[in-house]
Amino acid sequence: MSAPGIREPAEAVQRAQAGDAEAWGEIYRQFAPAIFRFCRRALPTREDAEDATTEIFMKVRGKIGLYDPSRSFSAWLYKVSANHCWDMLRRRKGRQDKETEDVAELPLAHPEPGQLERLIEQSTSEQVRGALERLQPRARMALVLRYYSEMSYEEIAETLKVRRAFVGVVLLRARHELRQALERPGELAAGGTR
Amino acid sequence: MGKHLEEMTCLLYLEGELERARAREVSAHTQECSACRTLLRTLEHESRLLTRAMIEEDEPLPERLAALPGRSGPPLHWIWGAVLGLAATGVYGLYTGYLEPLVGRLDEVGFGGSDVISMLIFQGAFWKGWQSMISLIQILAMVTLAGTGVLLGRKWLRRPSAALVLSSFCALLALPGGAGAAEVRHAQIYTLHKDEVIKNDLYVGAGKVRIDGTVDGDLVAAGESVDVDGHVTGDVIAFTKNLRIAGKVDGSVRVFANTLVLSGAVGRNVTSFSEVFDQDSASQINGGLTAFSNSISLDGKTGRDFLAFANNTTLSGFIGGNMKLRGKALSIGSTAQIQGSAKFSGREPAEVSAQAKLGSPLVFEQYREEPRRWASHHYGFQLIWAAGTLLFGLVFFLVLPEFGREAAGAGQRYGESFGMGLLMLVGVPIAFGIACITLIGIPLGIAAMALWLGMLYCAQLVVGAIVGGWILGAAPAGNAWALTERMLLGVVAIRLVILVPHLGGLAHLAVILWGLGAITLAVYKRFQKETPALPLPAAPAAQPA
Repeated sequence: MSAPGIREPAEAVQRAQAGDAEAWGEIYRQFAPAIFRFCRRALPTREDAEDATTEIFMKVRGKIGLYDPSRSFSAWLYKVSANHCWDMLRRRKGRQDKETEDVAELPLAHPEPGQLERLIEQSTSEQVRGALERLQPRARMALVLRYYSEMSYEEIAETLKVRRAFVGVVLLRARHELRQALERPGELAAGGTR
Repeated sequence: MGKHLEEMTCLLYLEGELERARAREVSAHTQECSACRTLLRTLEHESRLLTRAMIEEDEPLPERLAALPGRSGPPLHWIWGAVLGLAATGVYGLYTGYLEPLVGRLDEVGFGGSDVISMLIFQGAFWKGWQSMISLIQILAMVTLAGTGVLLGRKWLRRPSAALVLSSFCALLALPGGAGAAEVRHAQIYTLHKDEVIKNDLYVGAGKVRIDGTVDGDLVAAGESVDVDGHVTGDVIAFTKNLRIAGKVDGSVRVFANTLVLSGAVGRNVTSFSEVFDQDSASQINGGLTAFSNSISLDGKTGRDFLAFANNTTLSGFIGGNMKLRGKALSIGSTAQIQGSAKFSGREPAEVSAQAKLGSPLVFEQYREEPRRWASHHYGFQLIWAAGTLLFGLVFFLVLPEFGREAAGAGQRYGESFGMGLLMLVGVPIAFGIACITLIGIPLGIAAMALWLGMLYCAQLVVGAIVGGWILGAAPAGNAWALTERMLLGVVAIRLVILVPHLGGLAHLAVILWGLGAITLAVYKRFQKETPALPLPAAPAAQPA
């Protein structure tokens, strides 16, 4: 996974690993907004996102000694965040169980390219965010991992605990759900909550 | 041009997930097929739209995330185990060391309850006077539980529906009591005249209270002196310097007084905490008498058991049940009569008149210090207190981490802290005394005193945080857990020092002075400073893409 646009805080991380509280503050200030946004996109409510952000940074602080400096810090941070958010969603178990079956069985309708093009061109960012909030947790998480965190298929498979070959299906189904939500803005997708 | 491409194939192609040969085929196909080209372009457009929608900063970082969160809990998990273990040990110690023997002793005295809790709460001698206290304890327990619940379930609680339920519950609690509203009187001198009747409970606070008429309900009185010459059909509960009951009380009497003089009739039981308890020969208590006094003189009639802790007791009256007494000296006069058993545990043997009529010979037990037993009780109590303090400290420092940090910081100014602590330790009780001279000042004085007692208790937590800081090094700023960890360690160290004979007492005093001063300084500082705005992160926010 790459995290373009982020200046890697190698020096601050090194100091934080040595127990420097100031360095930890720098890291927090640099990454908190992005991680909050990540959580906001992945989780159903703003409160969940706030809690998750706090917990992720506490977790990262506790585990900073385990971070391998030869790898990208931001990628590691997103990995921890993804695992944390997905765990949170999985804990809401009933919904999750139902969804697993749904994903495996639902048929995929082939889109009509011209119609799809119109839908995509007419949709605004705000509408997409609104539609995202109404998606099933797994669909939503998959899209966030891929198009916000830019995780690879391997990393997505690892986070969502699915086979790598299944990631494409998950992503495509997520796009279909999203399109449905964009087409019918009033409807609430099963599992989507606010 | 063959068959159209699958959407999945297009997506995998775009994402670079197709094998090279297959990717070449797709590329070749889209050169010729405009529909598949459109689909490919649309999917790409969709990807970009998704990324753009997700990375847009549509809402700022919430204020509560502006502050740096503390370290996570896992390193402290052992603390929970230790605290729960201590608490469990404490509860076990409390039960085996205190409750079980107490039940046994009360049985011996004839109070007869096999279940001490239900006896204390629901039976005769202790019933109504304790009701309010039990309610208070219940409320405190509920508040503590609620506080812990809020702390643990704050995620859930922030949800609007949960917040609504909680606030409704709080509103419900805050609602005033309905039907049973009582008569409330405040005056310098309050008199219920002989022919007056109050058909309700009467709550009266006055310098002097005089009840010559009838209260058809309970009488709850606070004042310098309370005289009941009339008739109270319910209970009398009094907080006063002097209480004199010459009239008739159908219910029970509960008293916190300097002097209690009883010359009237009490339909049920009497419970008295008073310096002097004097029962005239004309007086009659139909139920039992429980007294904690310096000196007790009983000339009247007590229908049931007599249980007392008193320095000096003189008995010339009638006891219908058993007598169990602990104190320094007991004198049983010639007119005394005890129908049940009589047991006295004291420093000196009782003086018993030969004419006294005792149902069974007086059992005397020389009261002496039992070092081993005392020691086990002492350390048992210390353990219970330590466990309680640790639990309280944990909640306190997690709920108010900033205040804890400020107080610990203020405690670093040793001279100021000790000086302020001394001032508070001595000054507040004096102020309390002055406030309580005037009736209006009583609630204020009691509130201040309660706050002061709370501060006394918290003193060791603050000093614990400082001492813990000495041991583990200063807690990093904004790290509530680190501070709590230091506090817990420090409190354990302090409690150990306090256990040391002689030196422990001095150390305890020093801790109280120091902590009390530090808390006062921190509170003072809070009132002084203006509320600063939360520091929002200044550095540019990082974001992917």
